[in-house]
Amino acid sequence: MVMDISPYGTLSAERLTIVGMSTEFAEWLRGRSDEQLRELVTLRPELITPVPAHVEGLAGRASSPSAIGRVLDRLDRFTSAVLETLAVLAPPVAYRPLRAQVARGLSGPADSVFEARFRETVDRLRSLALVHGPDRALVPAPGVREVLDGPAGLGPPAAETFRHYHAERLAELVEDLGGGGGGTKEGLAALLADRETVARLVGEVSPQARAALDELAWGPAGGRVPNARREVRVATARSPIEQLLARALLAATGEESVVLPREVGLFLRDGRIHRDLSPVPPPLGGTARDRALADRTAAGQAFTFTRAVEELCERWSADPPGVLRGGGLAVRDLKRTAALLDLPEWAAALIIEVAHAAGLVAASGSVDGDWMPTPGYDAWKVRPAEERWTALATTWLAMDRVPGMIGERDERDRLRSALHPDLRRAAAPEVRATTLAMLAAAGGPDAPLAPTLEAVRERLAWEQPRRRVADRDRLVEFALREAEQIGVTGLGALSGHGRALIRPVPGSGAEGGSRTAPGSGAAELLAPLLPEPLDHVLLQADLTAVAPGPLTGELGRWLALAADVESTGGATVYRFSEGSIRRALDAGQGADEMLAMLARHSTTPVPQPLAYLVSDVARRHGRMRIGTASAYVRCDDPTVLDEVMADRRATPLRLRRLAPTVIASKTSRATLVDSLRAMGYAPVAESLDGDVIVTQLDVRRTEGPPQQRVPAAFTGLDAEVITAAVRAVRAGDAAHRARRRPVDAPEGQVPRSPATATIGALREAIRQGSQVWIGYLDSQGNATSRILEPARMEGGYLTAYDETRAAVHRFALHRITGVAEVQG
Amino acid sequence: MADGPLIVQSDKTLLLEVQHEEADECRKAIAPFAELERAPEHVHTYRVTPLALWNARAAGHDAEQVIDALIGYSRYPVPHALLVDIAETMARYGRLRLEKHPIHGLVLTSTDRAVLEEVLRSKKIQPLLGERLDGDAVVVHPSERGNIKQLLLKLGWPAEDLAGYVDGEAHPIVLAEDGWELRSYQREAAEAFWHGGSGVVVLPCGAGKTIVGAAAMAHARATTLILVTNTVSAHQWKQELLRRTSLTEDEIGEYTGTKKEIRPVTIATYQVMTTRRQGVYKHLELFDARDWGLIIYDEVHLLPAPIFRMTAHLQARRRVGLTATLVREDGREGDVFSLIGPKRYDAPWKEMENQGWIAPADCVEVRVTLSDSERLAYAMADAEERYRFCATTSSKTRVAEALVRRHPDEQVLIIGQYIDQLDELGEHLGAPVIKGETRVKERERLFQAFRDREIRVLVVSKVANFSIDLPEASVAVQVSGTFGSRQEEAQRLGRVLRPKAGGGGARFYSVVSRDTVDQEFAAHRQRFLAEQGYAYQIIDADDVLAGD
Repeated sequence: MVMDISPYGTLSAERLTIVGMSTEFAEWLRGRSDEQLRELVTLRPELITPVPAHVEGLAGRASSPSAIGRVLDRLDRFTSAVLETLAVLAPPVAYRPLRAQVARGLSGPADSVFEARFRETVDRLRSLALVHGPDRALVPAPGVREVLDGPAGLGPPAAETFRHYHAERLAELVEDLGGGGGGTKEGLAALLADRETVARLVGEVSPQARAALDELAWGPAGGRVPNARREVRVATARSPIEQLLARALLAATGEESVVLPREVGLFLRDGRIHRDLSPVPPPLGGTARDRALADRTAAGQAFTFTRAVEELCERWSADPPGVLRGGGLAVRDLKRTAALLDLPEWAAALIIEVAHAAGLVAASGSVDGDWMPTPGYDAWKVRPAEERWTALATTWLAMDRVPGMIGERDERDRLRSALHPDLRRAAAPEVRATTLAMLAAAGGPDAPLAPTLEAVRERLAWEQPRRRVADRDRLVEFALREAEQIGVTGLGALSGHGRALIRPVPGSGAEGGSRTAPGSGAAELLAPLLPEPLDHVLLQADLTAVAPGPLTGELGRWLALAADVESTGGATVYRFSEGSIRRALDAGQGADEMLAMLARHSTTPVPQPLAYLVSDVARRHGRMRIGTASAYVRCDDPTVLDEVMADRRATPLRLRRLAPTVIASKTSRATLVDSLRAMGYAPVAESLDGDVIVTQLDVRRTEGPPQQRVPAAFTGLDAEVITAAVRAVRAGDAAHRARRRPVDAPEGQVPRSPATATIGALREAIRQGSQVWIGYLDSQGNATSRILEPARMEGGYLTAYDETRAAVHRFALHRITGVAEVQG
Repeated sequence: MADGPLIVQSDKTLLLEVQHEEADECRKAIAPFAELERAPEHVHTYRVTPLALWNARAAGHDAEQVIDALIGYSRYPVPHALLVDIAETMARYGRLRLEKHPIHGLVLTSTDRAVLEEVLRSKKIQPLLGERLDGDAVVVHPSERGNIKQLLLKLGWPAEDLAGYVDGEAHPIVLAEDGWELRSYQREAAEAFWHGGSGVVVLPCGAGKTIVGAAAMAHARATTLILVTNTVSAHQWKQELLRRTSLTEDEIGEYTGTKKEIRPVTIATYQVMTTRRQGVYKHLELFDARDWGLIIYDEVHLLPAPIFRMTAHLQARRRVGLTATLVREDGREGDVFSLIGPKRYDAPWKEMENQGWIAPADCVEVRVTLSDSERLAYAMADAEERYRFCATTSSKTRVAEALVRRHPDEQVLIIGQYIDQLDELGEHLGAPVIKGETRVKERERLFQAFRDREIRVLVVSKVANFSIDLPEASVAVQVSGTFGSRQEEAQRLGRVLRPKAGGGGARFYSVVSRDTVDQEFAAHRQRFLAEQGYAYQIIDADDVLAGD
């Protein structure tokens, strides 16, 4: 059975009925149960921020273009298609014909899956207040059709597209189309609504013109042609476009734009509104992984990633790269860092960005600063590995920065550099969350799925077809790539700890307020998969030390000083060399101390060549000593120098006897010469403490505050708030409808009560839904007295219906002087 | 496996803990695709290089096996990026193939058109190719078979050579196993080569590579060209072949500086082959003198560049390379891979030693303190003279003498670089000196006398580095070397590693001047020894002299 579609709903007609529709919609909304309203505001939390005063207010907000736009963005392809179909058909439409029309767009059969899904979808659209009315007369909520502008890629109805045509032209068209009765746009629309007429007209045009029509048939319905307003008749039409314009198969909407009228579009679509529709999402193609293996792989990567961040901070401690004048990190420095970390540039950029977003590195000062670790890094470094990782991974999930774009050119052809302030995409955290949620839902519990990039993109396009996110496909790609690099996924499948990371924290909501730190569950799951810190190494005759796992802090630092790292990974290979031993000696280590340290932390005897190396380097170390002196005194006769040394006037010169015949001084030569002359001698010197100067790596820290944390993603409203909001709306609505007169507050002052008692009493009133009498200091400081029906209390404010003002208001809790029960 | 023996590092090295109970099993699993880089006492380091992965592919292993081995034995989770990289690298081998075409002769075919297109765009490749047959095949000039393999390897798309080999002129050769037999690993090595068609067999010095060569000839049963490093080595090959095979004097020819015989089995030296007169290699025609069925390259890690070029034209002949190490000081491992063939067999030194095939060795570095006057002279020496100066100080001579006295009942070899020093040592010790100018006859007489224990101490220059079989030497004293050459160290150590009649161990002394470049070079060479797993210690010369 084919249903005829009559796209009558013209805009002007709509506008006439808009007021009536709104009232109808508000009435329908009012008729919903509290439970249903709670569901509505749970699904569309933006409707109660702030809480509307009454149901009309709620209805008005629910039909505002921005609110509708937001909820449409969250609809999947099938749900959108149902709504679009309803918008194209002339409402009200009954359930069955609507289903039949949607079914025509299906790629598969209209089976029971479709039936069930359709039922569910209609109910869901109703829950979302996008559709109202009973099954026998379904109507889109006011505002939906406007926001859906061009549903399913169809052009506007003929009555709309030909609106701007002048009467003579309309008459010409009607005549050419074989109609009579003068030229009105309604007449033209009626002609185009006739399938046979359109079939005839389409049959007349040339193949090229037909091809142009087919091009526009499945949308977008608009196109650009030069001189679109030319007024051609069927008889004189030459080019394909002229043939179409002359037959009103195309309507000019501007000097250079044309559009396919909806009636023609529907004809070309053979009565269908959609094609290739599927009631269920496309299957997520990919490879099933072994859960344990995926977890272990992800944990390995998590460990590697954490190590890399640490490595980055250590490198930048000793040798911080500069901040570019426009902010960010120079390309050269990024390349250098990537080489140091032995990673491709994108991975290094990710590490840098995450470390920055997690507050581990920051710029020191705004002008001519350097990028270097913050004190936060020192705090992070001493935490257990799993917590370090969790801190990084949660930061990554929530950050709005897009490391993947580093190295590309922006719209103005400037290179996007790492850490540059502009490297943001507000949608990035959402895309990450959606992508990972998709992974979490894919595959069985023991065989998590590693979907392909295309499958994820396809699924996302199905789930949110209307959501317009710039570069969404690329953001998805980045999200998957980065999740793997960070160790959230392993072998492409979501790991156990990754799952815990994105899962809403259990226990929240039930016992409001007792939220655990985000990702603590992830840390617990990750911990057993990470290698245990060790306190021993294997020493070998080729002068290497192999640490077969991460080392405890003290040993790790010592080895980093006394040996060079040769390779990292699960284990660390250190190599002792003359240079590294010398470095340790320079840092104040003694040979015996080093040998003892080696013996203590080695599971096997210290190899003879290594012990020999340490002693050999120590033997030569410090045999030669070097100091700074700006001048010296030399004299062949030591007695003269004895005299100088003994002279009290020489004390301020800070003289030092280096050898019997040499004195060194730190004063300048001129000063020395002058002083010695004053004492009755002649020239020269150096001054030293004489001790070995202990050198240490110049570890630097910025005092600048860590970068501001990214605000936590919106987590939805909790049940309590929703219930309160619905109650407030209901209360407000009751007042509104009853046109309750303001109630006079009882005479006299409300007895003062302590703050805790006030809050207790208000909370009780909220619970029971009862009225209270309060004393309130208004913003001018005047003591007033009100009768309230409290709805909810949060953030130091009470939201309540004020009987004395007949409106919903917010009251600052600290200005409530007292609470009493309402008498009688 | 939470406590496996293997740790995978991010730089693609694999650390194998040898004391672990699964270490042996794990070693067998990873050996096909990872090169043993270092084998000191506790933790062995293997490196996964593209070449090693391609060697594994050529030997029939696939990425799945490699990844399973890594994951299965690894103590910690293996980073995913590394697994992906391994899979991708392995997948590069064999995308391109050299095959025989019934009409066009040699063609380059591809299973992946994009790769073929990429390769065809290379300016260096284009001149080697002929007509494009269809989307997936291009004609290759038969003479460019070697060059194209070399270039493709450089581009990262090593071709699998399936074009087969010519059989060559048949010649009966069988092993004469009378009173001896092939050792199991020698048999495996020869078979591995034969199944692979062409390739390299890696065996430590003293493991009997000559016999592997003979076994390979017995497989080929064809005329054979053997390329060796020098004349003495050529003689030894001949003796060995006469002893181990059915070949007779008349069938084996020597093609050296003095003799120019071309017989069914011909042994030529690298030196002769690379002799040029007026810029022309005059002995090149040897390669075409007969229809050789097999070419053996002895000590393939020393193969000189001109021979590589000649080998590029011999790709249709079966080739076997014999070596103790794939490490080349000039880094041309890739050329060995593409021109001789992938590694076909490999057994680490330490393992052979444990099985008793080669003698265990103790390495001792003796540090000599220069006298004050020597130090002054050293400080004043020209940069290029410094090594020579510190390597040949008279303090060393005294120490070498003391070391010889320390081992009164053993056969001692003294090895050095500088003739003056060797002459002086020879004089002091009353020992004969073998150097470059010593005539081959005289050399062989002395070697024989040494073997027969008529001479106890022999002083040799670097002419004795290679392929001279002196099984009875149990002590070697190295007084100077070619800077820090690692492979020289391996060769010299190889002199004393032959199994001893008495079954005792060998000692390898290096006499080094303290605080000089000599010590730096020694550190380089000795790191190599330690990495090969030899017990290694440092003592002071004073201790040696005091013990006198």
